[in-house]
Amino acid sequence: MVRWELVKFKVERVNEGILNSVINFETEILIPETRKVIAVIYNGKQFTGLKHEYLVYEIKSKLERLLESGLIRELSKHSRKAEYRRGFSLRKISVYAEGTLANLRYVYNDKFLEFGSVLVIPPYKDWDKLCKVPLTVETNAVSDIKSFYEVLTEICRSAIRIHFEVVTVNEILKLILQETGV
Amino acid sequence: MMIIIHCSNRTVQSFFIEVKVSQPLYINGVPVHDLYLEKRPIEGYLYINGVRAKELSGGAKYQLIEPTLFGYFDEICQLFTGNADIDVEDESYLPVSIQVNGKRVFKIERTGTIFTMDTELGLNDIRHISSKIESVFRVKVIPLLRSVGLYG
Repeated sequence: MVRWELVKFKVERVNEGILNSVINFETEILIPETRKVIAVIYNGKQFTGLKHEYLVYEIKSKLERLLESGLIRELSKHSRKAEYRRGFSLRKISVYAEGTLANLRYVYNDKFLEFGSVLVIPPYKDWDKLCKVPLTVETNAVSDIKSFYEVLTEICRSAIRIHFEVVTVNEILKLILQETGV
Repeated sequence: MMIIIHCSNRTVQSFFIEVKVSQPLYINGVPVHDLYLEKRPIEGYLYINGVRAKELSGGAKYQLIEPTLFGYFDEICQLFTGNADIDVEDESYLPVSIQVNGKRVFKIERTGTIFTMDTELGLNDIRHISSKIESVFRVKVIPLLRSVGLYG
């Protein structure tokens, strides 16, 4: 397999009216050898960058799974507005020979929670390692120190699910790489 | 406001707490509601607004709690080896900054509406440390201070 590097990974669901929600997805993968960038974009209707439509359903269901994260639900408790947006993305992606580190960012409306660095590619092996390694945590969802600590507790309580979310990211990337022939 | 604790070799060296009391203390004849309690490095005494507690009116009761109070702070210091400086928020009794041997290993900062935590510790360690500190204050330090009129 050709060496590749993740550049971007972002999925978002935006509510356009009461019954209409749209998933937007964007990922970019760099092939350093050829400097080629594989960009896959989904605008809620069709994928750009994928040749075969049969993968759409599979990738879409995995993207939806990411948007059902318990941490997004936790953020929703801190937002007084009806849901108009939720998202999951990888930020501050750093590629090393041993693997790729990134921050996991969860969004609900205007609230966010971001923490890292987490080994995302390949996914870290033990789910309980998440709360044993140094992490930077950032959020605008709380208003005092006590609530901030509750968010820290929620991250550790959700460690198994977070691990599966990282695995899901890898599964999506694997499907894209296979499909694009990398 | 912050509670500041300095530990050395698992023992409290100094601390500083600001408290508000409904029943005033008379310091130099002046009724005072806003107090700061401190233990100074090396000295094994409690100071209230810069005056040795036992020298104040009713000081015997303050002197009586000194060993117990310092023992409670020692419980917090047991968590750290070497020199440790801990800043604790006085509403939640949760730590917001920890330095060990001059190196910051944990810090929570607030910039506008954004809280950021930077640490060299794992979240499990932080939760263990913070839960111990919170419990020592809520279950031990505050009730003890309240019992002699130095809190609430």
